[in-house]
Amino acid sequence: MTLLDGALWPYLLVILAGFLPTEIWRSLAVVFVRGLKEDSEVLVLVRCVATALLAAVVARLVLLPPGELLAVPLAVRIGAVAGGFLVYLAARRSVFIGILFGELVIIGGAWYFA
Amino acid sequence: MSESAASPPVPAGDPHASGGRWALRGSRAALKSVQGVVLFASFVGFGGLIRDIGFPLGAAVLSTLLVWALPAQVLLAGGYAAGNAAPVIALAVGLSSVRLFPMAAAILPYLRSSRRGIGVQFLAAHFVAVTAWIEGMRRLPNVAVEGRLPFFFGLSATLVLSSMIATAMGFYLAGLLPRALAIGLLFLTPLSFLIQLSHNARDLVDRLALAFGLALAPLFAAIGGRLDLLWTGLVGGGAAWAVHRFMRRRRKGGGQ
Repeated sequence: MTLLDGALWPYLLVILAGFLPTEIWRSLAVVFVRGLKEDSEVLVLVRCVATALLAAVVARLVLLPPGELLAVPLAVRIGAVAGGFLVYLAARRSVFIGILFGELVIIGGAWYFA
Repeated sequence: MSESAASPPVPAGDPHASGGRWALRGSRAALKSVQGVVLFASFVGFGGLIRDIGFPLGAAVLSTLLVWALPAQVLLAGGYAAGNAAPVIALAVGLSSVRLFPMAAAILPYLRSSRRGIGVQFLAAHFVAVTAWIEGMRRLPNVAVEGRLPFFFGLSATLVLSSMIATAMGFYLAGLLPRALAIGLLFLTPLSFLIQLSHNARDLVDRLALAFGLALAPLFAAIGGRLDLLWTGLVGGGAAWAVHRFMRRRRKGGGQ
């Protein structure tokens, strides 16, 4: 318990509860892909799972955000991310313009509601 | 092991000079990309967040270097602030980071090198995180094979370094920013992930995986449990892959 109050504890925590549990997945990947070809079908599946997982992270952060973002109503959060995406498509797939538009909506919403 | 025995091919030209040049190109790609700017701003938001919850700046900057995955870092700092026990935090971080496995597995085949040992592969894998992955997957296929590894190291090391600076900047800026702007920084992560992912979707199979993931996430979140992200990835990604296989077989066996 004394460690918990120590100034070094957060640094230890970064290594034990941050670095190790993330690095293990990256290291497993190194072992997993040995001998697999670049165009192997297994890697297409793996890419699909990675993409769907990231999409789930997006949905989670919009629907059930941590902290301050909750101050902005759900409809505005969905509107900002959907609007940003549609503007990205309309602006000939400009990532910058899409993100800019989504940010304007959320900042406007935060300014008005929060 | 077999690599050292598998004959070191005589490289044409000077491999060191060209390696450095590729690294520099990767670094420049990081600095010039929209993704790099967005990442910088996201870590400014993280710096503000950790000051809010009383996580020390030094540990936060260290986490940017060693953890190098923003959602995991937010969980870590949040768990610390909530007074959770280390094993609980480690479990949450570990579960939230399963995605690093398929991401690293998808990009590592581009980063193979016959001249270097497997240690370099572990180092390359450490640098895999969303932005480096998205930029890497987009650019690496167009980079000459011998330049891929140095290009990726230049790209990702630049992103890590600028994110460490951004973490510190956010820490010192916190409280100075208007609240609406601070909220805008927090929103950058989901907004930019979505747009970058769809920008990167090369084939139908990528778009399907993206759409299935978005559609299934609320469903699995409603079912509950700590593994909902993982289930979404497996089911959504698996379904996209199944469609891809089905269409492929039909094209091949056309008409029957």
